[in-house]
Amino acid sequence: MGMRDEGGGGRGRGGGGGGGPRTGGRRRFLFRRRKYCKFCEDKARWIDYKDVRTLQNYIPERAKILPRRISGTCATHQRQLMQAIKRARTIALVPFTSD
Amino acid sequence: MVRTYETVFITQPTLTEDDERAAIDALAEVVSTGGGVFTTNDRMGRRRLAYPIQKFEDGVYTRFLYDSEPTVPKELDRRLRINDKVIRHMTVCLEPDWAVAAKEQAVRDAQIRAETEAARAAGLLPEEGAETGPGRAEGGRDRDREDDEAEYEERD
Repeated sequence: MGMRDEGGGGRGRGGGGGGGPRTGGRRRFLFRRRKYCKFCEDKARWIDYKDVRTLQNYIPERAKILPRRISGTCATHQRQLMQAIKRARTIALVPFTSD
Repeated sequence: MVRTYETVFITQPTLTEDDERAAIDALAEVVSTGGGVFTTNDRMGRRRLAYPIQKFEDGVYTRFLYDSEPTVPKELDRRLRINDKVIRHMTVCLEPDWAVAAKEQAVRDAQIRAETEAARAAGLLPEEGAETGPGRAEGGRDRDREDDEAEYEERD
């Protein structure tokens, strides 16, 4: 009984060993703030393609659409966002590219 | 089936005010004769284009929001394409549950605009020019943009 308890404690500290291979990898530097979908938080029900101020947050310098892995937007809203940005591009509210 | 459509088009910035109004009224006429019901016929104003279209750097945006049969946007699209005062146009069919919210918003916007205009006419408000943009946005969405962008650069 005593032996088993010690084993459990060791796993918690060691990380990579035998227990969870995925636990260690991502914690490179300091604690990084957890990303979340800002549209879910806002309860914005639909992303308006005319709302340039909001879209601008998702189009960095080169005017590419900011990927989900950076912005943390959820899949549903990323899809709506993509649609909105593409619409805004066709009516020249937002650039296709910029240098 | 009646659905809600939103048509946005850009007219040449070089038109005189009368020409512009005539062009827009002619297009609005297409919607009403086709049995469409307007929620807004909104001149969003002149603004800088994100990229030049037909060598124009600016354009005057107009937005129609209306309920109609699908024949109306089809005809409108045809007219818009023929009309050379219009340099770009786009029609979007709104999802039924979003359409309600969009219409409410449009009505609210129109009301606010009318009120401020009335106040300005009465001399209550000081003159202010750069206040109208096509979208209203809430701030506070870009809190952790800087490190996100740094990471973006680093990876690609």
